[in-house]
Amino acid sequence: MLEIAPLAKSGADLAVGTKPHIGAIIGRPVTLSPAAPHSRWSLRARDPALLGSALGRALPDRIGTVLDGIARLGPDEWYALLEAGTALPVLTGLPVSVVDVSARALGFTVSGEGARLALERGCPLDLARLAPGSATRTVFETVEIQVWPTAPDAFHIEVWRSFAPWLWHALAEAIV
Amino acid sequence: MILIHCPYCEQDRPEIEFTYGGQAHIARPHDPAALTDREWETYLYIRANPRGLHAERWRHIHGCARFFNAVRDTVTDRFTVTYKTGEARPDGGVA
Ligand SMILES: [Zn+2]
Repeated sequence: MLEIAPLAKSGADLAVGTKPHIGAIIGRPVTLSPAAPHSRWSLRARDPALLGSALGRALPDRIGTVLDGIARLGPDEWYALLEAGTALPVLTGLPVSVVDVSARALGFTVSGEGARLALERGCPLDLARLAPGSATRTVFETVEIQVWPTAPDAFHIEVWRSFAPWLWHALAEAIV
Repeated sequence: MILIHCPYCEQDRPEIEFTYGGQAHIARPHDPAALTDREWETYLYIRANPRGLHAERWRHIHGCARFFNAVRDTVTDRFTVTYKTGEARPDGGVA
Protein backbone atom coordinates (compact mmCIF):
# COMPACT_ATOMS: atom_id res chain seq x y z
CA MET A 1 0.00 0.00 0.00
CA LEU A 2 1.31 3.41 -0.91
CA GLU A 3 0.39 6.56 0.94
CA ILE A 4 1.68 10.12 0.74
CA ALA A 5 1.93 12.40 3.76
CA PRO A 6 -0.43 15.33 3.16
CA LEU A 7 1.95 18.12 4.14
CA ALA A 8 5.23 16.86 2.73
CA LYS A 9 7.80 19.61 2.25
CA SER A 10 10.57 17.55 0.71
CA GLY A 11 11.17 14.18 -0.83
CA ALA A 12 12.20 12.86 2.58
CA ASP A 13 8.70 13.55 3.98
CA LEU A 14 6.97 11.38 1.43
CA ALA A 15 5.72 8.22 3.07
CA VAL A 16 5.79 5.65 0.32
CA GLY A 17 5.10 1.96 0.42
CA THR A 18 8.16 0.42 1.95
CA LYS A 19 7.45 -3.15 0.96
CA PRO A 20 8.31 -4.23 -2.56
CA HIS A 21 5.55 -5.90 -4.53
CA ILE A 22 6.85 -9.18 -5.88
CA GLY A 23 5.06 -11.25 -8.47
CA ALA A 24 5.13 -12.32 -12.07
CA ILE A 25 3.61 -11.42 -15.40
CA ILE A 26 3.02 -14.22 -17.93
CA GLY A 27 5.22 -16.40 -15.72
CA ARG A 28 8.14 -13.97 -15.67
CA PRO A 29 9.17 -12.58 -12.29
CA VAL A 30 8.86 -8.84 -11.59
CA THR A 31 9.62 -6.77 -8.51
CA LEU A 32 8.06 -3.35 -8.03
CA SER A 33 9.71 -1.32 -5.29
CA PRO A 34 9.98 2.28 -4.14
CA ALA A 35 13.33 3.77 -5.18
CA ALA A 36 15.66 5.40 -2.69
CA PRO A 37 15.13 9.16 -2.19
CA HIS A 38 16.80 11.28 -4.84
CA SER A 39 17.76 14.87 -5.38
CA ARG A 40 15.88 16.06 -8.48
CA TRP A 41 16.52 19.19 -10.53
CA SER A 42 14.84 20.72 -13.52
CA LEU A 43 17.40 22.46 -15.74
CA ARG A 44 16.45 24.79 -18.57
CA ALA A 45 18.65 26.77 -20.94
CA ARG A 46 18.81 27.78 -24.59
CA ASP A 47 22.58 27.38 -24.58
CA PRO A 48 23.71 23.96 -23.30
CA ALA A 49 27.35 25.07 -23.12
CA LEU A 50 26.46 27.95 -20.81
CA LEU A 51 24.39 25.69 -18.53
CA GLY A 52 27.09 23.02 -18.43
CA SER A 53 29.87 25.42 -17.55
CA ALA A 54 27.73 27.22 -14.95
CA LEU A 55 26.98 23.91 -13.25
CA GLY A 56 30.49 22.57 -13.72
CA ARG A 57 29.03 19.39 -15.19
CA ALA A 58 29.01 17.76 -18.58
CA LEU A 59 25.53 17.54 -20.09
CA PRO A 60 24.27 14.78 -22.38
CA ASP A 61 24.23 15.84 -26.01
CA ARG A 62 21.41 13.91 -27.61
CA ILE A 63 17.77 14.17 -26.53
CA GLY A 64 16.86 10.98 -24.69
CA THR A 65 20.33 10.19 -23.37
CA VAL A 66 21.82 10.31 -19.86
CA LEU A 67 25.23 11.44 -18.63
CA ASP A 68 26.23 11.27 -14.96
CA GLY A 69 22.65 11.30 -13.68
CA ILE A 70 21.44 14.07 -15.99
CA ALA A 71 19.00 13.28 -18.80
CA ARG A 72 18.36 15.50 -21.79
CA LEU A 73 14.56 15.59 -22.06
CA GLY A 74 14.24 18.18 -24.81
CA PRO A 75 16.12 20.80 -26.83
CA ASP A 76 16.28 23.19 -23.86
CA GLU A 77 15.45 20.91 -20.94
CA TRP A 78 17.47 18.56 -18.76
CA TYR A 79 16.51 16.60 -15.64
CA ALA A 80 19.02 15.72 -12.96
CA LEU A 81 18.39 12.62 -10.86
CA LEU A 82 21.15 12.66 -8.27
CA GLU A 83 21.98 11.06 -4.97
CA ALA A 84 19.77 12.42 -2.17
CA GLY A 85 21.27 15.56 -0.66
CA THR A 86 23.25 16.55 -3.74
CA ALA A 87 22.88 20.29 -4.32
CA LEU A 88 23.52 22.13 -7.56
CA PRO A 89 24.96 25.63 -7.43
CA VAL A 90 22.65 28.63 -7.07
CA LEU A 91 23.06 30.64 -10.26
CA THR A 92 22.19 34.29 -10.61
CA GLY A 93 22.43 36.65 -13.54
CA LEU A 94 22.56 33.92 -16.16
CA PRO A 95 19.89 33.00 -18.75
CA VAL A 96 19.46 29.53 -17.26
CA SER A 97 16.99 27.98 -14.84
CA VAL A 98 18.08 25.49 -12.15
CA VAL A 99 15.20 24.45 -9.92
CA ASP A 100 15.11 21.91 -7.10
CA VAL A 101 12.09 19.68 -7.80
CA SER A 102 13.03 16.91 -5.36
CA ALA A 103 9.57 16.80 -3.79
CA ARG A 104 7.74 16.87 -7.11
CA ALA A 105 8.23 13.24 -8.05
CA LEU A 106 8.73 9.77 -6.62
CA GLY A 107 10.82 6.97 -8.02
CA PHE A 108 9.81 3.34 -8.51
CA THR A 109 12.03 0.49 -9.56
CA VAL A 110 10.57 -2.17 -11.81
CA SER A 111 12.98 -5.05 -12.23
CA GLY A 112 13.14 -8.67 -13.22
CA GLU A 113 12.66 -10.73 -16.34
CA GLY A 114 9.10 -9.43 -16.79
CA ALA A 115 9.83 -5.76 -16.03
CA ARG A 116 9.36 -4.60 -19.61
CA LEU A 117 6.13 -6.59 -19.95
CA ALA A 118 4.75 -4.94 -16.81
CA LEU A 119 5.45 -1.45 -18.16
CA GLU A 120 4.08 -2.36 -21.58
CA ARG A 121 0.71 -2.93 -19.92
CA GLY A 122 0.24 0.85 -19.94
CA CYS A 123 3.15 2.37 -21.85
CA PRO A 124 2.89 2.51 -25.66
CA LEU A 125 6.55 3.36 -26.19
CA ASP A 126 8.82 0.75 -27.80
CA LEU A 127 10.71 -0.04 -24.59
CA ALA A 128 12.83 -2.69 -26.31
CA ARG A 129 14.68 0.18 -28.03
CA LEU A 130 15.34 1.92 -24.72
CA ALA A 131 18.75 0.81 -23.47
CA PRO A 132 20.55 1.76 -20.25
CA GLY A 133 22.08 5.20 -20.77
CA SER A 134 18.84 6.57 -22.19
CA ALA A 135 15.88 8.21 -20.47
CA THR A 136 12.69 9.78 -21.72
CA ARG A 137 9.37 11.20 -20.71
CA THR A 138 6.40 9.17 -21.86
CA VAL A 139 3.02 8.06 -20.52
CA PHE A 140 1.61 5.10 -18.62
CA GLU A 141 -2.08 5.02 -19.51
CA THR A 142 -2.78 8.75 -19.09
CA VAL A 143 -0.16 9.49 -16.44
CA GLU A 144 3.08 11.16 -17.45
CA ILE A 145 6.18 9.26 -16.35
CA GLN A 146 9.89 9.22 -17.04
CA VAL A 147 11.52 5.90 -17.88
CA TRP A 148 15.20 5.45 -17.04
CA PRO A 149 16.44 1.95 -17.94
CA THR A 150 19.16 0.98 -15.45
CA ALA A 151 19.86 -2.53 -16.75
CA PRO A 152 18.44 -4.67 -19.58
CA ASP A 153 15.65 -5.87 -17.26
CA ALA A 154 15.39 -2.99 -14.76
CA PHE A 155 13.75 0.42 -15.05
CA HIS A 156 13.66 3.46 -12.82
CA ILE A 157 10.29 5.23 -13.16
CA GLU A 158 9.78 8.85 -12.18
CA VAL A 159 6.20 9.92 -11.52
CA TRP A 160 4.69 13.10 -10.10
CA ARG A 161 3.76 12.39 -6.53
CA SER A 162 0.02 12.95 -6.82
CA PHE A 163 -0.08 10.29 -9.54
CA ALA A 164 2.22 7.92 -7.65
CA PRO A 165 -0.40 5.95 -5.67
CA TRP A 166 -2.43 5.32 -8.83
CA LEU A 167 0.66 4.22 -10.80
CA TRP A 168 1.81 1.96 -7.98
CA HIS A 169 -1.53 0.20 -7.85
CA ALA A 170 -1.80 -0.01 -11.65
CA LEU A 171 1.62 -1.67 -11.87
CA ALA A 172 0.94 -3.91 -8.89
CA GLU A 173 -2.29 -4.98 -10.59
CA ALA A 174 -0.30 -6.08 -13.65
CA ILE A 175 2.12 -8.09 -11.52
CA VAL A 176 0.25 -10.97 -9.96
CA MET B 1 -1.74 3.37 -32.82
CA ILE B 2 -0.24 5.99 -35.13
CA LEU B 3 3.48 6.67 -34.73
CA ILE B 4 4.49 10.30 -35.18
CA HIS B 5 8.06 11.28 -36.00
CA CYS B 6 9.24 13.98 -33.60
CA PRO B 7 11.81 16.17 -35.38
CA TYR B 8 13.45 17.06 -32.06
CA CYS B 9 13.63 13.55 -30.55
CA GLU B 10 14.37 12.15 -34.04
CA GLN B 11 12.23 9.13 -33.21
CA ASP B 12 8.86 7.67 -34.13
CA ARG B 13 6.77 7.99 -30.99
CA PRO B 14 3.26 6.86 -30.04
CA GLU B 15 0.44 9.24 -30.88
CA ILE B 16 -0.80 9.60 -27.29
CA GLU B 17 2.42 11.38 -26.32
CA PHE B 18 1.31 14.27 -28.57
CA THR B 19 -1.35 16.95 -28.58
CA TYR B 20 -2.76 18.77 -31.57
CA GLY B 21 -2.14 22.51 -31.89
CA GLY B 22 -4.23 23.71 -34.83
CA GLN B 23 -3.22 25.06 -38.24
CA ALA B 24 0.48 25.88 -38.65
CA HIS B 25 2.18 28.99 -40.03
CA ILE B 26 -0.30 31.54 -38.67
CA ALA B 27 1.70 34.57 -37.57
CA ARG B 28 0.23 36.89 -34.98
CA PRO B 29 -0.17 40.40 -36.48
CA HIS B 30 2.56 42.77 -35.25
CA ASP B 31 0.11 45.59 -34.58
CA PRO B 32 -3.38 44.20 -33.81
CA ALA B 33 -4.76 47.70 -33.18
CA ALA B 34 -4.11 48.61 -36.82
CA LEU B 35 -6.30 45.78 -38.11
CA THR B 36 -9.90 46.06 -39.19
CA ASP B 37 -12.41 43.88 -37.39
CA ARG B 38 -12.60 41.65 -40.47
CA GLU B 39 -8.80 41.18 -40.55
CA TRP B 40 -8.72 40.39 -36.84
CA GLU B 41 -11.56 37.91 -37.24
CA THR B 42 -9.64 36.25 -40.07
CA TYR B 43 -6.54 35.94 -37.90
CA LEU B 44 -8.48 34.56 -34.94
CA TYR B 45 -11.03 32.26 -36.49
CA ILE B 46 -10.68 31.61 -40.21
CA ARG B 47 -8.84 28.36 -40.91
CA ALA B 48 -8.11 26.35 -44.04
CA ASN B 49 -9.96 23.09 -43.22
CA PRO B 50 -8.76 21.29 -46.38
CA ARG B 51 -9.74 17.83 -47.51
CA GLY B 52 -6.25 16.42 -47.99
CA LEU B 53 -2.84 17.70 -46.94
CA HIS B 54 -2.88 20.12 -44.01
CA ALA B 55 0.08 21.81 -42.29
CA GLU B 56 -0.58 21.83 -38.58
CA ARG B 57 1.11 22.27 -35.22
CA TRP B 58 1.67 19.34 -32.91
CA ARG B 59 3.26 19.26 -29.49
CA HIS B 60 5.29 16.33 -28.15
CA ILE B 61 3.96 17.18 -24.72
CA HIS B 62 4.75 13.86 -23.00
CA GLY B 63 8.19 13.66 -24.62
CA CYS B 64 10.48 16.57 -25.36
CA ALA B 65 7.52 18.95 -24.78
CA ARG B 66 8.24 20.92 -27.97
CA PHE B 67 5.87 22.28 -30.58
CA PHE B 68 6.70 21.33 -34.16
CA ASN B 69 4.87 21.30 -37.48
CA ALA B 70 3.50 18.41 -39.49
CA VAL B 71 1.83 17.86 -42.83
CA ARG B 72 -1.02 15.39 -42.40
CA ASP B 73 -3.63 14.11 -44.78
CA THR B 74 -7.01 14.86 -43.24
CA VAL B 75 -8.62 12.03 -45.22
CA THR B 76 -6.23 9.19 -44.36
CA ASP B 77 -4.74 10.62 -41.13
CA ARG B 78 -1.31 9.83 -42.61
CA PHE B 79 1.56 12.14 -41.64
CA THR B 80 3.67 12.86 -44.72
CA VAL B 81 6.37 14.96 -43.03
CA THR B 82 7.18 16.60 -39.68
CA TYR B 83 9.59 19.53 -39.27
CA LYS B 84 10.90 21.90 -36.64
CA THR B 85 9.18 25.11 -35.63
CA GLY B 86 10.48 28.03 -37.70
CA GLU B 87 11.24 25.92 -40.76
CA ALA B 88 9.31 26.41 -43.98
CA ARG B 89 6.79 23.78 -45.06
CA PRO B 90 9.05 21.25 -46.85
CA ASP B 91 6.58 20.05 -49.45
CA GLY B 92 5.85 23.57 -50.69
CA GLY B 93 2.09 23.20 -50.18
CA VAL B 94 -0.25 25.86 -48.88
CA ALA B 95 -2.71 25.72 -45.96
ZN1 LIG C 1 10.00 15.04 -29.12
